[in-house]
Amino acid sequence: MSIVWLIIMLLSVAALLLSDPSAALEAMITGANGAVSLALTLVALYGIWLGLFEALESTGVADRLARLLRPAVRRLFPGENAETEKYVSMNISANLLGLGNAATPMAINAVRTMKRDPVRSAVATTNMIMLVVISATSLQIFPSTVVSLRAAHGSANPADFLLPCIVATVSSTIVGIAGVKLLSKAMTAIAKRRAKRKKTGSAA
Amino acid sequence: MTLYIVPAIFLGVLVLSLVRKKDAYAAFVKGAGAALELMAGVLPYLMAVMIACELFRVSGAAAAFSRFVSPALAPTGIPGELAELLLLRPLSGAGSLSVLENIYDVYGTDSFIGRCASVVYGSSETVFYVSAIYFSKSEIKRLRYAIPLALAASFVGNIIGCNLCRII
Repeated sequence: MSIVWLIIMLLSVAALLLSDPSAALEAMITGANGAVSLALTLVALYGIWLGLFEALESTGVADRLARLLRPAVRRLFPGENAETEKYVSMNISANLLGLGNAATPMAINAVRTMKRDPVRSAVATTNMIMLVVISATSLQIFPSTVVSLRAAHGSANPADFLLPCIVATVSSTIVGIAGVKLLSKAMTAIAKRRAKRKKTGSAA
Repeated sequence: MTLYIVPAIFLGVLVLSLVRKKDAYAAFVKGAGAALELMAGVLPYLMAVMIACELFRVSGAAAAFSRFVSPALAPTGIPGELAELLLLRPLSGAGSLSVLENIYDVYGTDSFIGRCASVVYGSSETVFYVSAIYFSKSEIKRLRYAIPLALAASFVGNIIGCNLCRII
């Protein structure tokens, strides 16, 4: 993240310095303003969804949903406690329904309550990476924004892209999940081999 | 269909709390109270991402980079015209939405390029934004392979989606 941000900033600021230096601050203000107004909108949206979640929680439905999704959640996120499992199931359900703004606060809570790496506590665990990858490869089955935008731009058939879109969504998520599983296995194998080599090296 | 989801969920929760004699009002207030604090943690990340995205677009670096990348897209089956959309989609929802609208205006919504653009936008997420926000309230600093993997997986999805558009 840090390196990508740095590269984008460096390239853009350097380009602006050469072409249009007065536009630099203007663009930054536009961006920051966008962030603040988005934040205000999101406070309102998060208020609605977090309020609803609390009400949902008090009725016991959240626990039931978590129990329903538990087999899948346990397989994807092994070794987490019931609270985290609940947040993860709420996150996945909201994402599937296309309610990304309801999914985000659930995910923040899920990451916060997940077990940490005991040795390196600032490094994301495999389960955290799994959560990010699943959400970031999109779970939304019905992209309502795109459908309404296509209709607004005079499409004869606004839903015409849905089949390839759903296939793309599902396959990216499958590739993502498989990737996390494979990479985490490969990395533990490498770490083990390295530890072994260290041991034999110190013995010799 | 999606129109009904939100009111239906709210109605369901309200009716359930009434049936189970729970105080929905008190619960709602308690939950909603966490929103501001949550957002206060998220805002600096939001600013960093959105400032970078705006600079990237305004400076012309995004367009220049897209021109550079677009020939490389040919073998994947993704139209080269989508390079800027592919580049901005993981960074910003609003920024990439304006690129998508521009594609609709230039090439038409029902053209091959317009449909591919719909697939790319509809089937992917703001990877960088999601990654920054999800970790905003934890002390996690290193995400390891999360972002590259999410980007690669989305790209595979885009390739499959665009090639399907060619057939269907």
